[in-house]
Amino acid sequence: MKPDKPTIKKLFAISTEGRKFQFPLPLKNVIRVNGRDYNVELREDEKYGIHVLWKNRRYPVEIVRTKQNRYEILFNDIGHTFTVETPISLQRKKILGKGKGKSTTLVVKAPMPGRIIDVLVREHAEVIKGEALVILEAMKMQNEIQSIAGGTVIRVDVRAGQNVMKDDILVEIAVK
Amino acid sequence: MDINGKYFRSFLEREEAFKKQYSADRLKKQHSKGKLTAHERIALLFDDGTFEEIDAFVTPSDQGVDFGKVEHAYGDGVVTGHGKIDGRLVFAFAQDFTIMGGSLGIVHARKIAKVQEMALKMGAPFIGINDSGGARIQEGIASLNGYAVIFNNIIQSSGIIPQISVIMGPAAGGAVYAPALTDWVFMTSHTSYMFVTGPNVVREVLNEEISSEDLGGAEVHARKSGVANMIYDDEENTIIALKKFLSYLPSNNLENPPVVSFPNDTPDFNPKLRDIVPDDPNKAYDVRDIINLIVDRNSFFETSELFAPNIITGFGRMEGRTVGIVANQPKVLAGVLDIDSSTKGARFIRFCDAFNIPILTLEDVPGFLPGKDQEHSGIIRHGAKLLFAYAEATVPRITVILRKAYGGAYIVMNSKGMGGDFNYAWPSAEIAVMGPDGAVAILYRRELAEAKDPAALKKELVKKYREKVANPFIADEKGYIDEVIDPAMTRGKLLSAFSALSNKSVKVPSRKHGNMPL
Amino acid sequence: MKKIKRILIANRGEIAVRIMKTAHAMGIKCVAVRTSTEPDAMYLSSADIIHDDGDETAEIPVFLDIEKLIAVALETKCDALHPGYGFLAENAYFADKCKDNKIIFIGPSPDAIYKMGNKPVARQIAMKHKIPMAMGTPGSVADEDEAVRHAARIGYPVIIKAASGGGGRGMRVVRQESEMEKMFTLASREAEKAFNDPSVFIEKYIENPKHIEFQILGDMHGNIIHLGERECSIQRKHQKLLEEAPSPALDEELRKTMGDTAVRIARAVGYYSAGTVEFLLDSDRNFYFMEMNTRIQVEHPVTEIITGIDLIEQQIRIANGEELSMRQEDVSLKGWAIECRINAEDVQSGFAPSPGRIEKISFPEGPGIRVDTGVRAGSSIVASFDSMVAKLIVTGTDRKHAITNTKLALDKIWIKGTKTTLPFFRMLMRNHIFQEGTFTTAFIEKNLDQYHHSSEYEDNIAAWLATKLFVEENLTGNRTNISFDQGKELTPWLLRKRLTQF
Repeated sequence: MKPDKPTIKKLFAISTEGRKFQFPLPLKNVIRVNGRDYNVELREDEKYGIHVLWKNRRYPVEIVRTKQNRYEILFNDIGHTFTVETPISLQRKKILGKGKGKSTTLVVKAPMPGRIIDVLVREHAEVIKGEALVILEAMKMQNEIQSIAGGTVIRVDVRAGQNVMKDDILVEIAVK
Repeated sequence: MDINGKYFRSFLEREEAFKKQYSADRLKKQHSKGKLTAHERIALLFDDGTFEEIDAFVTPSDQGVDFGKVEHAYGDGVVTGHGKIDGRLVFAFAQDFTIMGGSLGIVHARKIAKVQEMALKMGAPFIGINDSGGARIQEGIASLNGYAVIFNNIIQSSGIIPQISVIMGPAAGGAVYAPALTDWVFMTSHTSYMFVTGPNVVREVLNEEISSEDLGGAEVHARKSGVANMIYDDEENTIIALKKFLSYLPSNNLENPPVVSFPNDTPDFNPKLRDIVPDDPNKAYDVRDIINLIVDRNSFFETSELFAPNIITGFGRMEGRTVGIVANQPKVLAGVLDIDSSTKGARFIRFCDAFNIPILTLEDVPGFLPGKDQEHSGIIRHGAKLLFAYAEATVPRITVILRKAYGGAYIVMNSKGMGGDFNYAWPSAEIAVMGPDGAVAILYRRELAEAKDPAALKKELVKKYREKVANPFIADEKGYIDEVIDPAMTRGKLLSAFSALSNKSVKVPSRKHGNMPL
Repeated sequence: MKKIKRILIANRGEIAVRIMKTAHAMGIKCVAVRTSTEPDAMYLSSADIIHDDGDETAEIPVFLDIEKLIAVALETKCDALHPGYGFLAENAYFADKCKDNKIIFIGPSPDAIYKMGNKPVARQIAMKHKIPMAMGTPGSVADEDEAVRHAARIGYPVIIKAASGGGGRGMRVVRQESEMEKMFTLASREAEKAFNDPSVFIEKYIENPKHIEFQILGDMHGNIIHLGERECSIQRKHQKLLEEAPSPALDEELRKTMGDTAVRIARAVGYYSAGTVEFLLDSDRNFYFMEMNTRIQVEHPVTEIITGIDLIEQQIRIANGEELSMRQEDVSLKGWAIECRINAEDVQSGFAPSPGRIEKISFPEGPGIRVDTGVRAGSSIVASFDSMVAKLIVTGTDRKHAITNTKLALDKIWIKGTKTTLPFFRMLMRNHIFQEGTFTTAFIEKNLDQYHHSSEYEDNIAAWLATKLFVEENLTGNRTNISFDQGKELTPWLLRKRLTQF
């Protein structure tokens, strides 16, 4: 008994703003916009480093970070973040996304006792996952306390210069 | 044979019945939960058309069933077999939640045990995809014994073949120990959970309300318990990552890890490495930035990323060859060693040692985390694990001291005396019994108390301490460091060092096993 | 008077390069200081003599260490010192110290620095000379109560400023009395932290003004002229991002009135060397004296281009005691110049500093393009100094032409290794309010919903890139050439070991 292989025929790149871009597989060096195909090429050479050739112009490119299927790309000095999904994973996202949507509160606590050096966010500020919220000095080292989810800051419970104990609440975030 | 004859027809009928068993309804039910079926998972995992299923037509045992009903389905809720991943033989099972909730009965257990034993005989990696309601209540003690056999098999194979568990659904009760005993646990977020006692029992016994996700979801196990090593957002990414992960590992403990020919574009001399460690010893940086410039481009695979992030562990390749990396992470808690980071590091090192993977240690550690919490929870006992794991490892071991290397933490992180083969230091290294502030405060307590301007004197003394004691040159001159190197040439140095050590073989005293502090 | 033969450059980065360029053209030798923070910096290559300051434990950068700089100047036998901008450029005590040690300070007199550096003093002088100013307090304000009284007289909104401040720090706008107590404390505390002086004063807050400044040149013989204005309204949190000369808001008449006023202020303090008088211009074309900067400014090149005058050369000549070779009527403004400050900042994260190592850097060349920079490939933008990568100065026959040329030049700049403010300027050149020239200092906060320009189909290309990476990493795999056989090849030595180990 040999199972059928679910072949992946296309991929989707979803931007952080929720824009969806579709690419058929195998991936060609072509981008289709408004029904027209344009050639695009990723190149690397000594003079320019990694760059994209698009409409006879070179654009600098940098791959800032990749994590799982999440790609942070610097194209022409502008940062873009995409998750790349297969039809199955996209479907799963839709299923799991249903019944959610209500925001929950993320309480960021001090991981260890120390002194707050700087508070980097204000109330009502939008934060992204991984964004530094406060800088906590402990063991004579400055630690960035990062948000483990994106959302809006509801409350900032500490100020610069303050000493905190382990598990003291630093920031509260309404998770999106 | 006559393909229209009786025998062949009954063969075809069975095939037909098997296909029917996986009706659209069953698939839909599984898909509607955002999950794939056992066969789909297997298909994603193995190279196209290479998977051979065994025991597809077995049916559940009737033994001892006089309570409840058992569905007489082909396969008894588990798919087992072998196939190729990146061209290499791998044995696997995948539990099928669509049949009796993937519950484990005696036949189900026997099927798994069979492929486990085959994997051990062939010296091939073993992967288990878990999606099961647990022991089959109807089958009682037979089912429990089935688990015992599976556990025992895992333990007998441990350290001989890599064993990896993938959790893609529930794993509750005793069943959780199967994954726990394997080398690595992958979990898919939101649709999998593991716990010894579920939310219902917690509610009854402790009167506490908690969801399955909060009690034993992927996130919890990846961050807090450390049970899950790698977690991913969906099943496809889990499997894609698993395949990638497998490419770092040898098939068994006698082989070396596979070699992956690499695009030869990672510079052996990279001045960028000089910029990462800040001059200010109190400033943090991300040690992964260093790792990524040392290993072949894009080859670093971080393991247990979310658990004890103050130590980084993971695999990378250097000129195509797998290297296990252990690095203090100054970005988190200053890279301090605590209970969790010690056990995380120790387990990683032992895996590398078992499977002939050389270990690279990047050191920037201020010490052990002080405090009642740590001391009372046994940092002495747990810290000792890291020491034990390092000293016990016979694979090539290299350390690069990036910055701080103080006190006990210096000793632990694969120091020369612990058997480090090559110990390098960057010029920014500070090696001493303790940090400058502490040392000055102890040695010059009286002078500081009597000084007119204690702050100025302290500054002076700290400067002197750095000059006279806390620097890599003293250690170099005394032979505790093999060489102080320019950060830019780290990769080049390591390549030639690992190459020189590739034939390392150590005579280990014969014994049953050491007594590691557990 | 003896002529300057050797200058100590008490600065780093592009301004150090810039000063040395002119000095060399005048046959003067230059001494630069090497710091442990950036030992390979580009400005060192321009120097005739490099003084090593290897002190890694120093608490302040050498460029802020008065005693040390004087010692270096004496040791390297410099007869003059150029402070550049920032650091000690407007430190009267430093200028005085130079004088004491018989080192020519290339800049104004300590007295002029002091008078213009202390805001309440400057205000009093300006008031005495009937210079138009926003209403305000005659001197520092002691406490909130006094502040409330003054504000009531002046009328809200008012702005609280640090007496010894500059660069926007310690400034707070107060729109109603109830806010005063909080804002006063905040401003005062900020001032103390930033300038070691908690005293503040209060001025009428001019809503949405333009920031116009006049370049002044004066010699030691009492001749003072102005070289026209610079438009510096494109700023964010009081940090200038783009400057141009002339300003689209001025006509000949207003230019003459404001220019004459600027000269009068300079005259009031007996100013010599190059200096800048800053004004606010409101929507009714009323202008108010804000402050005078007693140094060469970052944005001086735009004036150099439209006047054809080398300001550094003038500074050195004036310091030599020479008389100005031109009069006011000799100064004519020709063409249009725009300067973009290309900083290592992340425009998508609110211009957060983005330090890093410049991997590749290249600029367009040609007529009408000038680039002042202190970095090259391999240079690091370090967090301890400013985030300037380069200044792009582009010329055109008129404003429209200059904008077109800037747009083209921006597209030809190639910088890899750090995020820069380039996307901001690309956006700005396409913004119609900028093109019309009607923007005010509130432009960035009020008129922009996005700080960067995205080229056509940029999202699509980035999405394609992400997909391509995904395919390469996961589907076709970088594992296509995985070899298990090589992993199995064991030397007899290892094989024996492995087999007998257990």
